[in-house]
Amino acid sequence: MNGMHGIIFSYEKRNNLRELGEIRSASSIPFGGRYRAVDFALSNLVNAGVTDVGVVLHGRYQSLLDHLGTGKDWDLSRKRGGLKILPPFAYEQKKGDAAFRGKMEALVGVRSYLQEIRQDYVVMMEGDLVVNLPLSDIYEEHLRSGADITMVCGADSFEMENGTYFEFDGGGRITDVLYNLHTPRGYRGLEVYLLSTRLLLELVDECAAHDLFSWRRDVLQAKKDTLKLRSYVWGGFAAQIRSVKEYYDRSMQLLDPAIRAELFCAERPIRAKGADKSSAYISPSGSCVNSLVSDGCCIEGTVENSILFPGVVVEQGARVRNCILFKETAVRRSAELAHIIADKNVEILPDRTLIGHSSYPLVVAKRCRV
Amino acid sequence: MKKECVAMLLAGGQGSRLYVLTGEMAKPAVPFGGKYRIIDFPLSNCCNSGIDTVGVLTQYRPLELNSYIGSGQPWDLDGSSGGVHILPPYMDSKGGTWYKGTANAIYQNIGFIDLYDPEYVVVLSGDHIYKMDYHKMVAHHKETGAECTISVMEVPWAEAPRFGIMSVDERGMITEFAEKPKEPKSNLASMGIYVFSWQTLRRYLNEDEANPNSENDFGKNVIPAMLRDGQPMAAYRFSGYWKDVGTLESLWDANMDMLSPESGLDLLDESWPIYARSINVPSAYLGKHASVSHSAFNRGSDIEGTVENSVLSSGTRIAEGARISYSVLLPGATVESGAVVEYAILGENCHIGANCRVGGAPENLSPEVWGLSVLAPGCSLEAGRVVPPNVMLDRNGEEVTR
Repeated sequence: MNGMHGIIFSYEKRNNLRELGEIRSASSIPFGGRYRAVDFALSNLVNAGVTDVGVVLHGRYQSLLDHLGTGKDWDLSRKRGGLKILPPFAYEQKKGDAAFRGKMEALVGVRSYLQEIRQDYVVMMEGDLVVNLPLSDIYEEHLRSGADITMVCGADSFEMENGTYFEFDGGGRITDVLYNLHTPRGYRGLEVYLLSTRLLLELVDECAAHDLFSWRRDVLQAKKDTLKLRSYVWGGFAAQIRSVKEYYDRSMQLLDPAIRAELFCAERPIRAKGADKSSAYISPSGSCVNSLVSDGCCIEGTVENSILFPGVVVEQGARVRNCILFKETAVRRSAELAHIIADKNVEILPDRTLIGHSSYPLVVAKRCRV
Repeated sequence: MKKECVAMLLAGGQGSRLYVLTGEMAKPAVPFGGKYRIIDFPLSNCCNSGIDTVGVLTQYRPLELNSYIGSGQPWDLDGSSGGVHILPPYMDSKGGTWYKGTANAIYQNIGFIDLYDPEYVVVLSGDHIYKMDYHKMVAHHKETGAECTISVMEVPWAEAPRFGIMSVDERGMITEFAEKPKEPKSNLASMGIYVFSWQTLRRYLNEDEANPNSENDFGKNVIPAMLRDGQPMAAYRFSGYWKDVGTLESLWDANMDMLSPESGLDLLDESWPIYARSINVPSAYLGKHASVSHSAFNRGSDIEGTVENSVLSSGTRIAEGARISYSVLLPGATVESGAVVEYAILGENCHIGANCRVGGAPENLSPEVWGLSVLAPGCSLEAGRVVPPNVMLDRNGEEVTR
């Protein structure tokens, strides 16, 4: 029944991820204990029966390539179709390694790939979106409504780095597309777009011919009166990881059981790479409350309100509060951490104290020893 | 495709001494240590030892085991040649039989092994928890020029009568083998792990099959026959952690050993990883009132109550006010508020209603009447039910005698 093809954008865009974004694109940021941001987009697609997915890359993508591998963790290692990694093969010859100016330019760079798409419809998503969308329902809604482009919006107008906002009429037809807003209004765009492959190719060729590069300005704004643009409002959890503050706040929301139940619902499981680590362990001296704890963690100290990725060690006497500790972080004896995001393989030496604040969580860069 | 070495994993045992835990699955498929199944240990050892061709001999309720092994990808056993093969008994033009014994199981698969024309065959058992480099054992086999090498470990003298006991000469060659001797002459016990030179084993398997009085068993028939004929047979000493988890008590013991790396079973040590098939559920959540001490737990779990000295598998849920101690919870077990579970093994997807009491501490009872309490997979206890120590329940909640 399914005629959808997935395209995930994972090139560098304006963001405020500080140290977290220095070594990777937002798509491969670890999230929620055992996931990377891109696991969500991939799982959303696979759970809707999508078998072919292209990932459009540009810049700092080693971490993402390493994570994606052949795509087998998402059942996307296939004889026909499956996962296709799309570095800017046609683009770099002309423009060198300059970043894409916009989505349309990114698509022009992979024009020959678009030509080969076997499905009649395309879903475009961002790799930094953490959500569990019922894409099959959205697809059916798209067919039923006769829209040219269906765009998924959150039921809020949260302020975001580089956010897109939509206004629409009572019937769901988009009346305005806004970005660079000082004070956000309308509905927050999740930047999930569903359209026919044929229309996408037409738009790509038209933009290429006029050296237009912006999806928002040159397609959505320019054509809002000639194309039928419709909204699909998603009222559930939807995080777009574009700043440290947003990353931190959205991660901490996962400590709420209702949000976990929705984001990780059993009907649409989020698939991730396995960690090949043993069970987590808490010693007689350890204590851990209101926290997510992943495989292979070893807790001998005190942990509260935190998210621990696989293989985190918290030694005796150490205190960890309101922290997000990535894979293999070690907190040595009697160290104290609060409101810290520690990237992979960070080591906090004995008796050190690092205190951030919920309004400004401190980030410790990958492999640093403090 | 020629291979130097092929491993044959005996996984057909019924596991009757695990009683209700193996009611619906073969013993090697029984969950262990929170995130593993028993068979993950020999399969991971093969992978880490560089053995890429493994035959898994199954016959007793194999569905769960077959689906768990799947393509063999979690253990890197899905290469373009070799890989993991499930080998049930089969019919040919002359008929066919169930696997009559361990040696007969290999005999019936001579054709499979011949496909790879190996120099050596490693015979493994599907019910042991240990980390071992089979490559070193094969190297020992080559160095000593043996036709058969048996891995052995020292056991306390008092326990020696429970094992197959080897006597060895000063070069470590086996001079005598006694199956469960009343008066052991040595304390070197066979671990049930063998390396054979294939052409020699092939000959002995054919001879053994031709003997109508044979029980077609390695320990009882094939090994003694080789020894009688004066074949060079080497003992390979192993000194790490090893446990046969064929009984409920030893399965529980091995789970408890995992909590204390001093036991020798250190699963957090990543130099010799044990692989398992991964499941797609989020990290474990420990609630605002959770109190967890000296315990292991896994993804997909939701722990709000008190847990001490226990091993919790994936997807377990412990409600606030519930208390678990000295117990092993298999995947998906749930315990409601006010319930107390002590010295118990709860099978997969067991449900313990509010204020139930399952099991009890040995301190309060005489040793003759105390024992672990064990619930079959899928068993659901209504609120307030009491299951005394040493009691076993089937999936309908009815008592089963051991």
